[in-house]
Amino acid sequence: MSMKRRTFIKAGAALTAASVAPAIVRAEEKVWRVGGSLPMTGPFATAGQLVAPALTDFTMMVNDAGGIGGKPMKIEVEDSGYIPKNALANFERALAGGPLHGYFGDSTGFMELVGPSLTGDKAVMMMSTSFASSLADPAKRPYQFMAGPSYQDQVEILLRDIADKGGETVALIYSDSEFGRDPIPHARKICEALGLRIVLEEVTKTAGADIESHVTKLAQANPEYAILQGYVTGVWPQLIGAARAFGLPTQFMGTFWGMEKVVADRVTDQAGPFLDGYQGVMPYRYFYDMEDAPYYQEVNAWKKNQNPDFPGYIVTWALEAYINLLIWKKSMEMTIEADKPITADNLMASMRAINDWDTRGFFGKPVSLAEHKIGQGRVYRYSAESKLFTPVSDWIET
Amino acid sequence: MITGNFKTSYAADESLWNNWAKRYGFVLAVVFLLVLPLFADNYVLLLAGQIAIYVIAVTGVNVLVGYTGLMSLGHGAFFAVGAYTTVILHQYVEHLFPLITLLVSIVVAAGFGFLFGLPSLRVKGLYLAVATLSANFIILFFIRQDWAAPWTGGRQGIETPNAMFFGQEMLSNTQKYYFIIPICLAMVLFAQNLFRTRFGRALIGIRDNDHSAEILGISLYAYKLKSFAISAAYCGAAGSLWAYFFPAILPEDFSLNLSITLVVCLIAGGMGRTLGPVFGTLLILLIPEMLKIVSGWATGGDGRALIHFSSIRDIVFGLIIILFLIFEPMGLVSIWDRFWRVVARWPFSK
Amino acid sequence: MAQVIQYLLNGIMNGALYALIAVGIVSIFKSTKVVSFAHGHVIMFGAYFYFTFAVILPGAEFMPDWVAKWEPEWLLAYKEGAAMFSPKAAIAAWVSNLPRIVLGLVGSIVCNALLAVFIERAFMRPLLGQSSLSMILCTVGLIWVLEGSASLIWSADIDQVPPLGPNFPIRFTVFDSQVFLFSSSVVNFVIALILFIGLMLVLRYTRSGVAVRATAEDQSTAYAMGINVPAVFTTAWVVAATTGAIAGAILASRNGLSPTLGLFGLSVLAVVLMGGLDSFAGVFIASMIIGIFEAFTQWQFGGEYAEIVPYVLVLLVILWRPNGLMGQAEIERI
Repeated sequence: MSMKRRTFIKAGAALTAASVAPAIVRAEEKVWRVGGSLPMTGPFATAGQLVAPALTDFTMMVNDAGGIGGKPMKIEVEDSGYIPKNALANFERALAGGPLHGYFGDSTGFMELVGPSLTGDKAVMMMSTSFASSLADPAKRPYQFMAGPSYQDQVEILLRDIADKGGETVALIYSDSEFGRDPIPHARKICEALGLRIVLEEVTKTAGADIESHVTKLAQANPEYAILQGYVTGVWPQLIGAARAFGLPTQFMGTFWGMEKVVADRVTDQAGPFLDGYQGVMPYRYFYDMEDAPYYQEVNAWKKNQNPDFPGYIVTWALEAYINLLIWKKSMEMTIEADKPITADNLMASMRAINDWDTRGFFGKPVSLAEHKIGQGRVYRYSAESKLFTPVSDWIET
Repeated sequence: MITGNFKTSYAADESLWNNWAKRYGFVLAVVFLLVLPLFADNYVLLLAGQIAIYVIAVTGVNVLVGYTGLMSLGHGAFFAVGAYTTVILHQYVEHLFPLITLLVSIVVAAGFGFLFGLPSLRVKGLYLAVATLSANFIILFFIRQDWAAPWTGGRQGIETPNAMFFGQEMLSNTQKYYFIIPICLAMVLFAQNLFRTRFGRALIGIRDNDHSAEILGISLYAYKLKSFAISAAYCGAAGSLWAYFFPAILPEDFSLNLSITLVVCLIAGGMGRTLGPVFGTLLILLIPEMLKIVSGWATGGDGRALIHFSSIRDIVFGLIIILFLIFEPMGLVSIWDRFWRVVARWPFSK
Repeated sequence: MAQVIQYLLNGIMNGALYALIAVGIVSIFKSTKVVSFAHGHVIMFGAYFYFTFAVILPGAEFMPDWVAKWEPEWLLAYKEGAAMFSPKAAIAAWVSNLPRIVLGLVGSIVCNALLAVFIERAFMRPLLGQSSLSMILCTVGLIWVLEGSASLIWSADIDQVPPLGPNFPIRFTVFDSQVFLFSSSVVNFVIALILFIGLMLVLRYTRSGVAVRATAEDQSTAYAMGINVPAVFTTAWVVAATTGAIAGAILASRNGLSPTLGLFGLSVLAVVLMGGLDSFAGVFIASMIIGIFEAFTQWQFGGEYAEIVPYVLVLLVILWRPNGLMGQAEIERI
């Protein structure tokens, strides 16, 4: 009897070991794991739902090409509903699920929330959808970076462009959110330095803004240029539409999140051509402009191969995800090449060492990431007829 | 609506646990909570800590909504008051003993509770709910302002201090867990105890019929105000722990969403019962995570499939709340009661 | 002075929209004693139905061309030579959109009515006899269900819908000062006003209106008097959903359409409570007051303050009158 029991226990132990063993082997970094939170529901679901497939596409492309350092990568995306606390829970779960080599955050709020806790073995190289100025801070936020200019830089690019073109009066219109307010103090400083006069500073609700009152104030101030900040899909098209219907000559300008062709096209199709002439700063080259962009051509060919009906356009929000992941991949490769262990510190050190790197499309000039951001961008202009954003400035560096 | 508990002796009325199963169940639960960190990872501890904090807050809401019968949709504000009080205190005294900040946060939140409670004599039902909801918005508005930013961090939120116990900084989730759980247990027990006293019974009297209660000599105003203060104090404590638990706090953490979640937790668990908040919080906080795990498992983190899955997850979550209301209107606690009834009467019941 | 009039007008236009949304919440409350937290999301569904019938359906293969773009000879002649953003062009654009606007409105009203019947039957009716708190909580649960369904059916993309009226600025002089209004806002205002007054008249003078009021007064007595109370409940939900469909169409044409449209309904709760849950007139006055105050706050202090105006006002009013401006005090029995 006792013999039997012993054998039984042995068998049980062997079985357990056998079932656990693969888990241990898996933990031995067979894949490079990247976690991610995206707002698939909630106020920014539009953005999240467009970005999520891009992450998967990127993974498949990298793995088709042999992975990173011979190992495949894997992205696990979760929904956050644009609530920082939920994203933090997602992050913790991703951490608990084994070695994590990168994380894609979904909001400024999450990045601020998780920032202080990224220490020791919790440290992970972290990219995000946000361009909040406070995140490009190598001293205070050693593990977070952004693949583009901060909102402050973006507004500065716009203001420099306005000054170059002889503009004198500017209105700053922004949503009452952290996102909307981020670059405003900096914008005031730059305006003073460039001799631009701010004739109106208008705070709007983030959604369902009182368009009539805003247009009334805008008409009274009558600025030559109006910079819109802190909107994604709402408010800005309505505001411009009302201003055009009113007959205001003001030139409207937006930043990254208000510069998406898909949104502008939809407004043009469904409401009318009033976004014609709308300008704004975009850190990246638009995807349709792939002539000088070998990377875009590769993505395009791959997508065409996957789906013959691919229309040949990838939203800028997804491009942001691509370039973020490319920078991560580059840092991985540099770290592997230097034969260092893959830790967040080594990755970030590699990333900071990226200098004069050709992004093969995204940016016009070679980039460096010493400051955890890429201070580059171009001013584009939308045409309702061709439905394209075409550049009206050179690449401006800040 | 619960109309009362049937008891045949004063001893039964005064006992903290009315049967052996509850007593040993409590001991078992404590033991489980103590050993949980031994085999739980950071994620589980994050959830556990979060749930414990919510339990405290929902218990507070229970004092007001479940026992006193006053509706509030503004408890997020007390949460915020507690959290920001803790952060601000640490700006002036760096290594303050956490229990002191906890106490101060409780007192400050109770003060705010007094303020919120002032209209509660005149304003009733939904009007009171919306009055508190408005107060919630207004308090958050002040927290967000730029002139308040040096203390509150404004819209950007602010990094929170770590609790220090005798030179030992609480950094890991495990340490934070052991800091929060005892406080949570103590506060839940305190609530259980509260309703064995004259004071607690007076509140229940007000809930069941405020005019009758007044005729019986209960000062409505004094008791409603005290109930508001106690309820706010619980949320203040939760807020304070929240500040210690998370690395940063943002104003939108404490918005209407939180206030509604607290009430939903209470309803799902069962109003006017001590265990109600515990069960309700477990259910409401764990369902989204479970659904997320299920969707993660079903989609393998594939972004393309996730688009549909997140919408379905929302629908399922909403349906669970609705189905609970339809089929289990007294909350999870009534399932629990039925279970114990069956156990106690076995084999004479099913 | 010109400024004051200008913002007063802006405020009234916004107030009318609040009123149109609030009317649904009041009509549900009056007969069922339930405050619907999900009303904003019912409105969102109305907006999406409007989008389906006014944008997606006319673009479908099998639809005749004139539905999507109606261009009779005389319209082309009228449009001839109109500048891009001139009133003339705006009116012409509106006329050519007219078939799909009408289709959209009819479709959204019908579909939303069906949705309301479904919600009432499937979710609210089983809760009859329970405390109104659980019914309110049930509408809170509905928020998730409706939001999830909307993003599942129509995806979370932002969409634009044609406005109900032509959109051009109307400039005129009051007291020697120039003010302006958008014509589409005026159209919205008129629609809201007609619906509001119509509903009040129906309640006052028709048989079903009396039934609703009787139910509001006392459910069991209404039963005893032979009133079909469940039918009254269904009617109330349908009234709320159909006015909501129109409100949704207007909201979507002003703010763009996305599943977050529903959040607008929550700030309207403050309006309703300020006016008094069971008083159409009170709610109308409250809508106007809040609309006007918001516009003035926007003018003087900017958007961040405008956002809390409804809440500050409702708090003050409730402290002064615990049942809202014109709400009935509940009679309690011991």
